[in-house]
Amino acid sequence: MGSTAPESMSGLPKEEADVELRLGDIPLRQTVELVRIDLPADRAEPLLERGVLPGCRICPVRSSPTGDPIISVDGSLLALRRETADCLCVRLLSDFS
Amino acid sequence: MRDLSTPTEGSGYASAQVKDEARSPLIALIGPPNSGKTTLFNRLTGLRQKVANYPGVTVEKYVGQVQCNLERTVELVDLPGVHGFSARTLDERVTRDMLEGRLEDLSAPDAVVLIVDCTRLESQLMLVEPVLKLEIPTLLVLNMWDELEERGGNLDHMKLAHLLGVEVVKTNARVGVGVDQVKEFLSGVEIRQRGLPPPVHVLSNVPRGLPLPMIDAFTERRRRVDKVVDRVSFVRPGPARSTEGLDAIFLHRIWGPLVFLAVVLIVFQSIFTWAVPLMNGVELLITSSGEWLANRLSDGWFRSLLIDGVWAGVGSVVVFLPQILVLFLFLGILEDSGYMARAAVIADRVMYRVGLQGRAFLPLLSGYACAVPAILAARTVEDERDRLATIFITPFMTCSARLPVYALLIAAFIPDRPLIGWLMGYRAAVLLGLYGLGIMAAVVTAFLLKRTLLRAEPGSFVMDLPPYRLPSARSIGLRLLDRSKIFLRRAGRVIFAVTIVLWMLTQFPRLDAGPPPIEESALGRIGQVIEPAIEPLGFDWRIGIGLVTSLAAREVIVGTLGTIYGVENASDDSMVLQETLRRNLTPAAAIGLLVFFAFALQCMSTVAVMRRETGGWKWPMLQFCYMLVLAYSGAFIAVRVF
Repeated sequence: MGSTAPESMSGLPKEEADVELRLGDIPLRQTVELVRIDLPADRAEPLLERGVLPGCRICPVRSSPTGDPIISVDGSLLALRRETADCLCVRLLSDFS
Repeated sequence: MRDLSTPTEGSGYASAQVKDEARSPLIALIGPPNSGKTTLFNRLTGLRQKVANYPGVTVEKYVGQVQCNLERTVELVDLPGVHGFSARTLDERVTRDMLEGRLEDLSAPDAVVLIVDCTRLESQLMLVEPVLKLEIPTLLVLNMWDELEERGGNLDHMKLAHLLGVEVVKTNARVGVGVDQVKEFLSGVEIRQRGLPPPVHVLSNVPRGLPLPMIDAFTERRRRVDKVVDRVSFVRPGPARSTEGLDAIFLHRIWGPLVFLAVVLIVFQSIFTWAVPLMNGVELLITSSGEWLANRLSDGWFRSLLIDGVWAGVGSVVVFLPQILVLFLFLGILEDSGYMARAAVIADRVMYRVGLQGRAFLPLLSGYACAVPAILAARTVEDERDRLATIFITPFMTCSARLPVYALLIAAFIPDRPLIGWLMGYRAAVLLGLYGLGIMAAVVTAFLLKRTLLRAEPGSFVMDLPPYRLPSARSIGLRLLDRSKIFLRRAGRVIFAVTIVLWMLTQFPRLDAGPPPIEESALGRIGQVIEPAIEPLGFDWRIGIGLVTSLAAREVIVGTLGTIYGVENASDDSMVLQETLRRNLTPAAAIGLLVFFAFALQCMSTVAVMRRETGGWKWPMLQFCYMLVLAYSGAFIAVRVF
């Protein structure tokens, strides 16, 4: 974990394959850092435009009645689908919480 | 992407330059959705605003005049709220084209006012960089400053102005704080030199000419934004407690869906019961003014045209104005308060099963009043295929124009007997069944479409959940005013024309004594030509003519049948019309007619708006034929079953 310095902003190769975490697996209120978006560019664009970028901090704050995640990014609330959340590779922030 | 906006150098810019002679400066107001952009626009322009459509698309263009001081007025354009300039949605495309000066009837702006919600500075500032690249005078408005401070946030706005090289103003558009400073900026805007070539910069999310993958381009820009945000010592505000509290209810596992259902029920209840007294009032106004006019005109063809034709025809449509306004009042409250986004999240799973997405919820709900604004509302659906599918099924939602037809036929043929005790009668059950029929057809159609013509990988769904806010009466009032204008203009044009043509067809070929008997009139003959086609459905030529005239708008059939059955003022005395109907139509055929109206796309306005929104005749024609086949076979089966 220590090898991944904070400046690893953009789509890095899968060097952390062993600890590959998806946003969908993260419990509520656990802030994580986005590592990679596993979506083709055109489908990632709506996410990127709303600040969901590699390197950003994401916190799942709630789960919708249908079990889809609602996340907080830069103070904005965003609702995603489970399927989309499963395309977001994240890593835990060990120095927090 | 360039091909989406065909160059218009020749005509477009030339005419824009001619208009330059006497024009006042044009300023574009842009910002992300939910940044308070329209609130600021309404603050600045008040009633001096008008709605039109951008050329070629139905994105509504709001242009208003701002009186900056005694001698200075500028024009302000409220562009659609966007997150970026990818041109992925119609809104983004229009915004981009306007800023680049590529729209035919609008010159490039002389200045830009960029409004952002400063409680979410980082993501909102992502729009700044592409806008600054335009190199035109820019004002950055930090809106919701009060909320930032309330929640313990802060930033050095002077430093921000210095770093970005633009003027910065702190506002609270809802109550009008800071609006005068915005006006001050506007008053200083000069018209850019005439004859200057349009800006060469092309707006996009990704810098052009750089072989940079999109994610990296965004990350790069974000890094620069973060640097700026750091240097202005931005203190991020604490969480919005009230929003968290409300979400705990509205997105609760059990309460959430219950509130959702209650909201949908209230909206329906409001359209179908609370709007009725208003509609009766409007109807009274129309009939009494018609009578007043009739008494003042001498008996003759002109009076007949004006009263039986225009007044009855246009009046039968204007009656729906209260209903549409009540619906839009509710939709406005739901949207401005922030609830609509939550409703879309709750609806998303169900919509997703059918092949749509949560954003389709608003257009489909609007479709219960009228498909035309509903189809426009579908432009918020980001995925193009989802948007097309949404547009395609919207006309299956039982719009209010079907109601008078349903009401007439149900009253004439369905007995007024209880079905489930006092809870529901036969009539209500039939009406409910017709609504259900529409929903079923919509679901099946969407399901089929997404597996054939519009097959696609399920898109990624991202929905912004704005903080809950108290809707402002001012904004909603202005929007209702717009809606009324648009609706009346439409009624004034289409329905007016149809009623005149219809009336004339009943008057010719002229006999010595006056107009011919209806069977021998031009209209009657047309009906008899149609008759063989609809005979299997149990409809006679009179209904046939009704079906043809109702192509203009569904409710026209009521007036048409009134005219044909030779009943004066059908809308006044529908008891007589019901009697005549019972003599001319079997109960089974009446059910068939109801089913026909549930399915058929009897609305030219919808077809026209479809053509513009989908950019061609392909989709509207396909939809028209599909719905006609469905309607015909539905009626065919119904006549034999009942």
